[in-house]
Parts: sequence; structure tokens; C-alpha cells
Amino acid sequence: MAASKSQGRYFGVFLVGSTVLCAGIAYVASGTGKLLLLVGAAILLGSLAGFLKIKALEGETALQPSPETMKWIGAVVAALGWVVTIGGLHFVDGNGGRIVIALLGIGVTLFGILYVLPAAFNKTAFWKKPAGTSARPGLTRMAGKVTMEQGFTPTPTAMESARMESAR
Amino acid sequence: MKAALRNNLLALCILALGLTVAGMAYAQTPAASAPPAAPPAPVPPATAELREAAAKAPTTADLQKGDPGGVITGTIGDVPAADAKAGVTLADAANQIGQNKVAINFVWTLVCGFLVMFMQAGFAMVESGLTRVKNANHTYMMNFFVYGCGLLAYWLIGFAIQMGGAAGNANLGGLNPLSAEHGISLFGKTWGLFGQTGYFLAGTSYDVGVMVIFLFQMVFMDTALTIVTGACAERWKFITFSVTSVIMGALTYPLYANWAWGGGWLSQLGTNLGLGKGYCDFAGSGVVHAVGGLTALAVCMIVGPRIGKFNRDGSANPIIGHDISAVLIGCFILAFGWFGFNPGSTLGASANGNLRIGTIAVATMLAGCTGTFGSILYMWITKGKPDASMAGNGLLAGLVAITAPSGFVSAPSAAIIGLVAGVLVCVSVAFIESVLKVDDPVGAISVHGTNGLWGVLSVGLFADGTSNYGGSWNGVTGNVTGLFYGDATQLAAQLVGISTLLGVVFTLSFAINMVLEYFIGHRVSAETELNGLDIPEMGQLGYPEFVFRPEPVLAAAA
Repeated sequence: MAASKSQGRYFGVFLVGSTVLCAGIAYVASGTGKLLLLVGAAILLGSLAGFLKIKALEGETALQPSPETMKWIGAVVAALGWVVTIGGLHFVDGNGGRIVIALLGIGVTLFGILYVLPAAFNKTAFWKKPAGTSARPGLTRMAGKVTMEQGFTPTPTAMESARMESAR
Repeated sequence: MKAALRNNLLALCILALGLTVAGMAYAQTPAASAPPAAPPAPVPPATAELREAAAKAPTTADLQKGDPGGVITGTIGDVPAADAKAGVTLADAANQIGQNKVAINFVWTLVCGFLVMFMQAGFAMVESGLTRVKNANHTYMMNFFVYGCGLLAYWLIGFAIQMGGAAGNANLGGLNPLSAEHGISLFGKTWGLFGQTGYFLAGTSYDVGVMVIFLFQMVFMDTALTIVTGACAERWKFITFSVTSVIMGALTYPLYANWAWGGGWLSQLGTNLGLGKGYCDFAGSGVVHAVGGLTALAVCMIVGPRIGKFNRDGSANPIIGHDISAVLIGCFILAFGWFGFNPGSTLGASANGNLRIGTIAVATMLAGCTGTFGSILYMWITKGKPDASMAGNGLLAGLVAITAPSGFVSAPSAAIIGLVAGVLVCVSVAFIESVLKVDDPVGAISVHGTNGLWGVLSVGLFADGTSNYGGSWNGVTGNVTGLFYGDATQLAAQLVGISTLLGVVFTLSFAINMVLEYFIGHRVSAETELNGLDIPEMGQLGYPEFVFRPEPVLAAAA
């Protein structure tokens, strides 16, 4: 569908809802503020419902469905690392200990971001499937079987060549 | 008749006499009751000098003759006096000095903000130049519209969240209306979470100083937002980009910026826990660049790689940008704008310590220079060619990395930080593409995310203890000193900041955009992507007179 009048309309509703919501937050101590908060939230939800309604009109994307639960687990692991760091500030007194705990927390977070999440998103990537097999074979052909390097890509730069070499 | 006239005249004379006597009596009464006049107070020497200077000041006639040498313009005659009859007093002169200080700082901060605003043009050129012709209009439009989306959201609520409790900066007159920070009590200490004044810039925040800090902080926020557009270029739905930009300008960016710059809990690590001078991020390697880069990583994962980026064996294909000249000119525009970014973050040129702006500007130049050398030499030595796009990214990486430490480090340290950043960006680009399989067309995640984190870390290593930016703003006495100069506690504070960027900012961005993925969807359809986003998403081509070669996949589909 690409960009459309419906998108523009619901984006306008989204902006109106955001403005009213913010006005409600600004004056939340008053009755009017609370009312604006509720009205703004309702308008925002309405815009999201509108977006959801027209989402089905979009054409098929090149993305394959991937495990949603694993993605959220990755996000939770990332957040958990921060909890470790903050916990270390409270439970450890010495500066050296706090540095170690902070590094540990960063490590946990990086595990979530650099390992769990990519694994989740790439679990169903077309390069992990045998050639010609896919839940959506049409897209597989478009996204993977025929690629740009087949006579349509200019000579790669040194950086691009390096990337290809390292990938191999 | 004559008798009546005579009587009237007599009455008038009596009345006039009475009035005269009464008036004289009334006039004499206060004088009679007033105490004896005090002897004139002695004129203070300074005031005497002011009067003497006023007497010697050029007259209007002198000024009418013109002042080609500029030697008689700007004298005591230009100092406004509270009482014109009394002339300029010492109090008048002191007030004018104070206003001059604030005025200089206002102008400095505003002009630097204007420079940062111009960086949007640089970002637009870099990002569009690194993408294909068929997506040029779409990429330029994202860079254009992100300014409006961010500004609107920041005006509505973002500024209040970030700076609503940031009162106390003497450079800009105190910013006293911004005095409400919401905090929580944890572990026996109070920690700031978000500001609560400044919504819509209305009410008490209708203040000259508040307007200056709003403009300056707003353009910083917009820089963070525009980082994401490059990483997700060539397959991102314009509507989803618009919505997520509004949310980022309203919530994600301001929240972390409050914690670091607005009196929030990261800035209180020094006062509450004795960790150095609190988290110090002078101009935003973490607040601006890492926030933008990590958000870009989160959205890039969700939106997925472009069609044709990866092969069936998992290897990556090069997808060459359409205009390397735009890329390199854009990089120069960004480097120019960075002189607003870093030196401008003093928020003043006139006050204690603000003359460090020269040092900061030189550190910025040097890090950009060595960053370029780092990336060019890395590519040249290891791959055989001094790659142009990576040279540009090396320049930007050096600038990103020096952004946080620029207020705290010496010139040699700046050069080292930039050099490391230049190499780091090359390694990071290859890692993100080849190992993570994340498609970042412009290298934004590596330039801003990776090197933003490196910049935050480098404060804890290289700060040389000669500057108290950050420290004084965070309520801690003493200068900011890193590990290499004897203070490991500052390193701990910086690590907590890095952990927060990764664990909170990334996760929050990821969660928000996963919700948007459900409701709106980030990715354009495969057909749109293959045809180019210019026509389906924007309605017109960026370069309508260009002749396009057919996409191979379309040919195959046909």
C-alpha cells in the first residue's frame, strides 16, 4: 500500500492525541488536567487502532516470521544486566568491587543484545534454510535466491570487499 | 448695583488673601516639622570615578562626527542608569557587567545551537549519499521531517522531562523556573528521575534563559533522532519512522538526558555514592550519540536487512551508495557543526572556566583528524585502499568519541581517543554486518553507538583533572579526573552510565519499537522496497531524470 491518505489521517490523530495527553500531564494536578489525560490517551489508542486496521493493507514484506518470545527474552536479559549494575552499587562498597559488578552487568546486557536478540531475529533467516525451502517461497526468491551481486552491483570498494572477505 | 459690585470685589479680595495665607501656612508646616537637613553623604571614590568618566564621555556632537577608529563608541554613556538625574552609579555598572556576562553566554549558546542545527544538513547528505538513487527522496525526507517530529515532541513534553529540574546554571542566569525534579528515595538517598516544569514552554518557563537552553538542547535531541534514519534507510516505512521519532523526542532521549544533564540520578552518583564527580558526559557521546546509535541498533534488528544484502550462505553483499561526494561534503558540514556541539556545551563563553572553549575546540579538531587517520590507515593497511566512505565515518567516529571527554582532556589525549575511534569504527562495522547480520547502510550504529560508548568510557580514563565541567554542574567540588590521572571512582561512574545506556535505553527503544511493529509495522512491502521507496512512500523521485536499471529480482519475478 505504501504511504496513503489513511496513514496521514491516523498520524494526524496521533499528533492530536499526543498534544492533548501532554497537556493533561502538564496540568495533571487539576481536574481538567486529568480529563485531558484520559481524552489524550483515548485518542492515542484510537490512532493505534487505526494504524492496526490499515496494516493489513500493506503488501508482503521480505521479513520471515521469527520467534517473538525469544526477542522479548533478549530484551529482558539486556535489562537484567542493568539491574546487576545497580544492585552492585548498593551491595558493594569498594570502588573496585563496583567496577567489577558494573562490568559484569554490562556483560550480561551485551549477551542479551549481541547474542540472544540476533539469534532470535535470524532464526528464520533465509540463509539458514536449504535452498528453495521457505514458508513463503515467493519471498525467498525475491530476498535471497537472486541477489544483487549477479551482474548488477558495481565494483565493490575496499571496505565492501573486506566485509565480503570477513563474512566468508 | 455699585454696592453689590463693591461687596463682591471685597469678598474676592478676602478669599484671595485667605488662600494666600493658608497656602503659606501649609507650605511652611512641613518645613517647620522636618528635621534639619543632613549633610551630603560623601561620594564613594568609585562613584566619583564614574562621574568623572561620565563627564569625559563623548558628547552627542562628538559621536555625530562618526567614529571610524571605533575608539569613542561604547562608553559609560551606554550604561543605563536607574536614576537619570543621579547618573551612572556603581550598582548600575555592576548590573550591566552581570547582564553582559549573561548576554555573552546567551549569544554563544544560541550561535552554537544554530551550528548544531545545521548539522541536520550534513546528516541528510551523508545518509542519502550512502543509499541508492531510488531511495534518495525518502532518505532526504526522513532527515528533513525528523527535525519537525523531534521539535514538536520536545516542545510538548520532552524538554520538561529532560530539563524541568535543571535549575542552577549560573552561565544562563540561573534557569530558576526549571526547579521541579521528581525523585525517588532508594537506598537511603534521593535520586532524580524526570523533570516536571517546562511543558509547552508556558507558565513560569516563559523566561529568556529557559528559551536559550531549550533551543540548544532541542538541536542536540534532534541529532540523536536523525542517527536512526540512516541505519534504517531504504526499507523503513515513513509513517512508522514519523511516529517513533515523535516518541523518541518525547520520551526516550529526554529521559536519559535528564539522568545525565538535568539533575537526574546519574549526575548524582558523585554526591550520593562518591563515584567521581558523578556521571560526566560533557557534550553527549552518551546522551546524544549512544542513545541514537543504540536506538538505531534496536530498530535495525526489528526492520531487518535490505533485500539483497545477504546471500544464501550468509555472506554480505556490498550495496553501494549513489553519491560519495555528498557523503564527504556532508561529513565536512558535520565537522563544522561539531564546533557548536562541543565548545557550545560550556553553555557560555564568559564566566569562571568558560575560556576553556579554545581547548575544547582544538580537542574536537584533533580527534576528528586522528579518527580519519585511524580509519584510512586501517583500511589501507588491511584492505589495500583508503576507502572514502570509511574515511568519512572515521572522521565522524573521532568526533563522536571526543564529544563526552572534550571538556576534560588534553590535546594529546584527544588525539589518542580519536585514533582509537577511527580503528574501532572499522572493526565495528564489520562485526555488526558479518557477525550480528544487522544491515546498517551508513554505519550509524558503529559511528554513534560504538564510539559513543567509547567516548563515555574515555572520560573515566583520560580526564586530566584540569576542568570541573560536569563536576560543578553535578554538585561536587574538585575537578573531573580519570583512571590514568589517579581517580578510579570516575571510571565507575562512567561504567554505570554505559550500563544504563545498554540496559535501559536500548531495551526501552526496543520495547517501544516492538509495540509499533505490532500496530503499524516498520518494514515496507517487498515490492515497494524493490521499486525504491521514492515513488511509493514519497510520491516522487529524488532524481526524476535518472534512468534506472531494472532490479534483478524484478526481472527474475517477471
